[in-house]
Amino acid sequence: MRKWYEETAENGDVVISSRVRLARNLRSYRFGSRLSDEDAVRLVKEVQDAAPLVKEKDGKRYFLCNVNHLSEVNRQAMVERYVVSPTLAGKKQETGLILSEDESVSIMINEEDHIRIQSVTAGMDLEKVFAEANFIDDILSEQLSFSFDDRFGYLTACPTNVGTGLRASYMLFLPALTMTGRVEKLSEEMGKYGVTIRGLYGEGTKSQGCLYQVSNQKTLGRTEKEIIANLDCIVDQVIKQERRRREYMLQAGYDEIEDKIFRSYGILKYARQIGVEDAMTLLAQLKFGADAGVVKLKEDVNLHILMMNIQPAGLQKLLGKNVGSSVRDRARAEYIRNKLPDIERGQNS
Amino acid sequence: MLCDICHKREAKIYYTEIVNGEKKEQHLCEECAAEHTSFQMKMPVKGEFTLGNLLSSILQGYYNSEEKKQEESANPVCEHCGMSYEEFLKTGLLGCADCYQSFGSAILESLKNIQGSELHTGKRPKGYVKVKEVSKPVAELSEIDKLTIRLQQAIEREEFEEAARLRDEIRAKKAKEEEGVKKEGAPNA
Repeated sequence: MRKWYEETAENGDVVISSRVRLARNLRSYRFGSRLSDEDAVRLVKEVQDAAPLVKEKDGKRYFLCNVNHLSEVNRQAMVERYVVSPTLAGKKQETGLILSEDESVSIMINEEDHIRIQSVTAGMDLEKVFAEANFIDDILSEQLSFSFDDRFGYLTACPTNVGTGLRASYMLFLPALTMTGRVEKLSEEMGKYGVTIRGLYGEGTKSQGCLYQVSNQKTLGRTEKEIIANLDCIVDQVIKQERRRREYMLQAGYDEIEDKIFRSYGILKYARQIGVEDAMTLLAQLKFGADAGVVKLKEDVNLHILMMNIQPAGLQKLLGKNVGSSVRDRARAEYIRNKLPDIERGQNS
Repeated sequence: MLCDICHKREAKIYYTEIVNGEKKEQHLCEECAAEHTSFQMKMPVKGEFTLGNLLSSILQGYYNSEEKKQEESANPVCEHCGMSYEEFLKTGLLGCADCYQSFGSAILESLKNIQGSELHTGKRPKGYVKVKEVSKPVAELSEIDKLTIRLQQAIEREEFEEAARLRDEIRAKKAKEEEGVKKEGAPNA
């Protein structure tokens, strides 16, 4: 079965994916920081007991696992595929996961909150992923009793999530705004509208390969629809700005850009060892070139998937063993060489 | 660049303070920043910069400035899970759902600071009405709060005539309240 990230979608030149996350807590347990180990085990079991109901009503195939029992590499690889959050992967206590076969829906158990329902899709479609997460929330609430307050809404461990418990986010590919040093300014402007922009794997991580996550800051006092509409409105502006910059860059210095992209391709195609940051930057330039029609890929290869697969743990999983970083750098270079399609000058030349 | 205050040590912190709409910018070293500003030393300079850290620094700023005198004697502790308000400030994480009630007015104020709102208008769990009878709300809803919720629901159902009526009712009630405050002659501190 194809994973969600293997689908292609609208606005794919800027918006890589759309994701929502709903935070929920059960009435009968304390929040994470005060949860005993025994209660953590009970909590995970109680939520996973609702999985058959989810399967029945949603019609998808779901898998269960206890994340803390998995190996370090497997956990890290799940973080790199956005299936679980770094917080969940790093917890020593009992943690659980209910994951749909296409990995578009994941229900994390005993994260910062008892339950985090996540739904994700390729391209720009928050409405669809919200509908999915909302549906799962309804199903779970048939069997589980959530902490809810008349005034404050869904109660969460951190007051930054209280109310709707909704964090909606887009993953954006912003090569032109990054290359022209506009992202910082953009971040300030977005802050005024309650929208934050940050690196690839969420809180506290830095951007790689011109990929960013943009999400709502506030969760209380607005309906779910309003939160999503506000984010859509801001992201529409960002898309326009990014496209305008791309056009401008191509008009102003086509030859330089074409040269840069072919040089990047050259390194990717012939390097014998390459670090993840380097590889991400070069792949970002190639993706930009392909999206903008500066170069044409002779085979249809999803460069975003390539970017995901060359992350340290994903690579180790492909290798099937734990290796040091120099071995990994060689393996990464080889993997890229094998996957990279031939290219030619694009129709814009 | 050298520190704006001591002119000796290297400035590592770019500090912006906005007081009554006036913006003041300074380049400071860690020592002077700790001494002369409400800047939290441990936070962004060393260690990890996370939302939790940021949050607790916002809360602490608030706590130090306005509530200090009132709260100093009483550091409320949640009866259900034993978490104290000070502990919460350190991590930004509450211990249990009851904490929202235990830390009452302090939570209410910090929610206004963080969220710019203190009233949930979004989704309610199915069958919530039943639960409502047994659980006590954290704070009683005012007439205006209830009308605001109904207004949101009317907009979602696209019943705009009803929404307009509710909006006017809320405006009228708010105007009345403000008048009431003026008549008493003393602004609410």
